[in-house]
Amino acid sequence: MNRKIQTLLALLVLASLALAACGSAATAEPTQASAEPTAGPTEDAEAQFSPLNVSGDIITAGSSTVFPLSERMAERFREEGFSGNITVDSIGSGAGFERFCEAGETDISNASRAIHEDETAACQAIGREPIEFRAGTDALAVVVSQENDFVTEVTLAELAQIFSTAVNWSDVRPEWPNEPIQRFSPGTDSGTYDYFVEAVLDDDPSLIQNSVGTQYSEDDNVLVQGVLGSPYAIGYFGYAYYAENTGTLKILTIDGVEPNEVTAEDGSYPLSRPLFIYSDATLMTEKPQVAAFIHFYLSFVNEEIVDVGYFPASDAAMQTSWDNFWAALGVPPM
Amino acid sequence: MNIRLSIRHTEPPNEAMEKQNTERGTLLASDLQKRPRLREAAIQSFLFLCGFLSILITFGIIYELGNESLLFFGQTQWSSTNKPLAAAISADQTVIEVGTQGTPLQEGAQYRIEEEIVFLQSIDGEMITLQRGVQGSQAAPHSGGLTLQAALQPDLVEFFTGTEWAPHNGKFGILPLLTATLIVSGIAIVVAVPLGLATAVYLSEYATQRARNTLKPILEILAGVPTVVYGFFALTFMTPLLRSILGAEVVGIYNMASAGIVIGILILPFVSTVSEDALNAVPRSLREAAYGLGATRLETAVRVIVPAAFSGIAAAIILAASRAIGETMIVAIASGAGPNFTFNPFEAAETMTGHIVRISGGDLSFNSVDYNSIFAVGLMLFIMTLALNIFSQRIVRRFREIYE
Repeated sequence: MNRKIQTLLALLVLASLALAACGSAATAEPTQASAEPTAGPTEDAEAQFSPLNVSGDIITAGSSTVFPLSERMAERFREEGFSGNITVDSIGSGAGFERFCEAGETDISNASRAIHEDETAACQAIGREPIEFRAGTDALAVVVSQENDFVTEVTLAELAQIFSTAVNWSDVRPEWPNEPIQRFSPGTDSGTYDYFVEAVLDDDPSLIQNSVGTQYSEDDNVLVQGVLGSPYAIGYFGYAYYAENTGTLKILTIDGVEPNEVTAEDGSYPLSRPLFIYSDATLMTEKPQVAAFIHFYLSFVNEEIVDVGYFPASDAAMQTSWDNFWAALGVPPM
Repeated sequence: MNIRLSIRHTEPPNEAMEKQNTERGTLLASDLQKRPRLREAAIQSFLFLCGFLSILITFGIIYELGNESLLFFGQTQWSSTNKPLAAAISADQTVIEVGTQGTPLQEGAQYRIEEEIVFLQSIDGEMITLQRGVQGSQAAPHSGGLTLQAALQPDLVEFFTGTEWAPHNGKFGILPLLTATLIVSGIAIVVAVPLGLATAVYLSEYATQRARNTLKPILEILAGVPTVVYGFFALTFMTPLLRSILGAEVVGIYNMASAGIVIGILILPFVSTVSEDALNAVPRSLREAAYGLGATRLETAVRVIVPAAFSGIAAAIILAASRAIGETMIVAIASGAGPNFTFNPFEAAETMTGHIVRISGGDLSFNSVDYNSIFAVGLMLFIMTLALNIFSQRIVRRFREIYE
């Protein structure tokens, strides 16, 4: 009996080891082949930014919205051979700048807004000059079911009403049906919820919290299902989930602007915002691993960003980031 | 291996062996008196420890729930208003300017800025007048952009009578969660009891031995299906079925009815198996007496056997009910994810268990209002199932028929 169990256990362990080996082999596939020739000056200069050639710790902190993106890039950086530690803390943009500029503890600050003047001043006070790198663009999609034949566009003010005090659709616009609004919102812990409250409800969460029968879920698929369930349902989530369900969901224009790569990028779509990472020139020179990570981030962010759920930044914005990068290291761009 | 070792231990020591030759009689007597049965003692203490451990764990859970709930009811909770200070303030400044965004402030309420607690005396547009450093806190300078936190004080009366549950927003009425739990488990009981009881009567009174041997294990498979599978069965089969029968405008995509029916299926084996055991325990003489009086099979079953087994059946139903109240995965998937005070079973509403699982699923910080509130909900849930169990024990004792 004991023998049998032992053999079984041994087999199980072997099998799981084999599986694990397969798994890591599949993920550790080097993606170096796809390393595009960026605006970098020479081949030699490129080599110093390889994750294999740098070591040490990289500390990043900041926005919870940028967090999944930075986390993904850090993961990929490690997969491609970086031996040091990278920490990515999700503490909010403001707290991120506080740690970067006042305490000076972090190497990179993640932010879902541009740095404020007083934050720049605080940075300068401890001898840091924040350099901005654009990472991408975040946009919220406000959606209804395709069975809904009465809403195609809303204004920001109407959206605020829909997600707060309105009970029936007709409360918002008299020509809309006299049917209860079924609201679907991301969970109260999510950055998407926070951003919606900030951008639509003037940062007053009690408005949506007091709305009747609103359904919350951290699982965006639950929200998609819910919105599909009724012509009188409405929901919002990251654009990525709309992109996966374009056949069944209808996206609303906000203040007459339809969200897409262009309107999200130029800021004309009201529910979009740029995502940034910040660092400092001296830091990047003193800690080559930080420069290498930023180089890696800028090189590959567009391969991952759609998967994480955001829009890529425009070519011009990325070019500015590259210019900032080479300028910080004192290398003249080619 | 173990057995041999322990036998060696029980052998008398060498000195005693030497004495054995001389004083045979006394030794025999002492042998009879005390033979240290180490193995028996070890087994006994191991079994005792097992039982003790489970009791200890139960007390641990009660302690933890009670402790965390006390934190919830006993302490002032703080919730961010997102209302920022417009500029940095000094420690003795009482009239300050705040930003326009965020939840509107209220006169006569307490707020917290960092560690300092302030009392809001009056509001004039964006200018507010504060009494600084109240409640034993120290007035201190604060930098601009810091947000005010509102004081929330949950009390027991509101907890049991309020019809709105939004802890983050200072609304602590558990009724929406409670009614949803009761409606969902009520539907489950309505589905499971008639079906389960009928199944039990068939299995114990009508079925042949062969039929019973085949049917019982099949029925018990139902109890072995993972509840997450049941959840998706409710969402992707039961809900569309209800919607096609009653109309999509009546039945919501997430609704209590579909979750309740599927929980009914889940607890069906609990009702049928335990009830069948109770029916089988009724002595044969009662059946024979009923048949002897000319009763049909149905009359015997309904008028004699079921009443005789009533205490067992009641225990089965209450056991199933507490299982239904505690069921989590099915309601989390199919019944909705927002508190909703409604008695319409076709609407979405979140149950107590569903709420706990949703709130604890996010990355809530320790000691936030939402986090503390789930322990109060958990304690409520625990009290409900405990009350049901005590109730079922009383019923069993009250209605037990004792046969010689």
